[in-house]
Amino acid sequence: MIVAENLTKRYGSTTAVDGVSFTVRPGQVTGFLGPNGAGKSTTMRMIVGLDAPSAGHVSVSGHRYNESRSPLTEVGVLLDAKAVHTGRSARGHLRAMAATHGIPNSRVDEVIALTGLEAVANKRAGKFSLGMGQRLGIAAALLGDPQTLILDEPVNGLDPEGVRWVREFVRHLAQEGRTVLLSSHLMSEMSQTADHVIVLGRGRVLADAPLAELVGAWTRNEVLVRTPRAADLASALAAPDVTVTDAGNGALSVSGISASAIGDLAAERGIPLHELTPRTGSLEEAYMALTEGAVQYKSKEIA
Amino acid sequence: MSTATAPATTAPTAPRPAASTYHLSFARVVRSEWIKLLSLRSTWWSLGITVVLSVGISLMMAAALRDFDAGFAPVMVIVMPMQFTMLVAGILGAIAITGEYSTGMIRSTLTAEPRRGAVLLAKALVVMVVLALATAITYAIAVVATAPILTTGIDWGEPTQSILPLLAGVFAMATFALIGLGFGFIIRNGAGAIAATVGVLFVLPIVLSMFSFAGESWQWIVDLTKYLPVSAAQVATAAGGDDVVRGLVTLAVWPAALLLGAWVSLRSRDA
Repeated sequence: MIVAENLTKRYGSTTAVDGVSFTVRPGQVTGFLGPNGAGKSTTMRMIVGLDAPSAGHVSVSGHRYNESRSPLTEVGVLLDAKAVHTGRSARGHLRAMAATHGIPNSRVDEVIALTGLEAVANKRAGKFSLGMGQRLGIAAALLGDPQTLILDEPVNGLDPEGVRWVREFVRHLAQEGRTVLLSSHLMSEMSQTADHVIVLGRGRVLADAPLAELVGAWTRNEVLVRTPRAADLASALAAPDVTVTDAGNGALSVSGISASAIGDLAAERGIPLHELTPRTGSLEEAYMALTEGAVQYKSKEIA
Repeated sequence: MSTATAPATTAPTAPRPAASTYHLSFARVVRSEWIKLLSLRSTWWSLGITVVLSVGISLMMAAALRDFDAGFAPVMVIVMPMQFTMLVAGILGAIAITGEYSTGMIRSTLTAEPRRGAVLLAKALVVMVVLALATAITYAIAVVATAPILTTGIDWGEPTQSILPLLAGVFAMATFALIGLGFGFIIRNGAGAIAATVGVLFVLPIVLSMFSFAGESWQWIVDLTKYLPVSAAQVATAAGGDDVVRGLVTLAVWPAALLLGAWVSLRSRDA
């Protein structure tokens, strides 16, 4: 359980995190979303005591991280893959980390096997690919078999097999009753992994809700209808809470009425339908709608 | 990577019962720092260079001493290479911490042990012990190697002519490394910390001594020279010297002050 209350971080005149409050509960995977510069990483760094908050506070398992006498068994952290000395082997790094808590070398070998690093365990970390570095970071986070996992962009640089492994692994850990907080830019990945989503934008919490609820609230369910008699169908569908827009190529995008109701109505009027496709909103659409005004580094639309 | 494809079988099935025995202790943090320092090639390179340089210079001095009597105690042949190896010690101390900042390792270190004072203390202890051991071994090799060359051997019956200057030399080398470590914690950047360390150990003595040509009114600057680590080390290691204690105290004050500054910096700044 991670509880942040009014967490704030200022760097000079810029406010990276602005009065953020949230609770990350055990037994589910909580996704941390937000545009670049939204304050996700800064918030994670404050959770584990690397950065001191300018105001507010955050606790893990009921106390400040810095007060823990056994941080590695309480919290596993992957902040970025580059938190490893490039001159040390993966095994050397993990042994040094394990030694602080008296964790035996047998556990080091376990996490090396778990993350698929056996072949490169004795290679210097500086020679690792991004994906291998990521696996090493995850291995370090798992050393103490922690109750809470905080993973910043864990699938960044991983191959598809690694991405799937991380997804299934964190879901498994959450099912065991552990607390998992992870950030990712990959919306499809997040929608498959997270149960609950916290969206940050410009240092503030924009949304904090179960995934399905968030998607439902910020997207519209639409039905794509293709018919040679588009005008007839449009007038047949006309109702106060139904909106019909031209989707091009003789297709209509209809919202406010279910696909089956459209089909029934068309049959009644003898209007032939060539396509009837219900489309539910995605996390990506919800995210885009939510963060529209909060994107700090916006790319130019391609005309 | 076959294991990574089957999370269901390789994932821990239940929280480990032994987990409760895993917790921090200062001794464990020291052990971790010990593993960290000795698992880096740069450490072994630095120590190797120190040994070779030190023993080599000792042999040359011992040989030179055969041809003319420089009028100093034979034990100085063992201790005097410090003038050169001090830089290696200082640099080793500096990169012991700046390497963590440049690679991001410091974030792993401080999440494993969030009490930053303990990290600093453990690192200082390990750097000190490693340098002391390396110097002691270097001296032992140098003593054995120079023994056949020296016309007048080291007088082991007289501590001030033998063991005391050697112990002071061991202490001084550990001190130089801690000065580097202190600068490393404060400056965080490798090049900057090495520049500061070399500046204090090597450049400052030369600069200050230049004022000896400047006349009476500048004498106070020249007097400051004796409070520099290197001058203090020379005084402390002098065989039968009068100011050995003053030298040792001056030597101890430098790392103490720098590490205090390092502690303040480490505690108050974001990692």
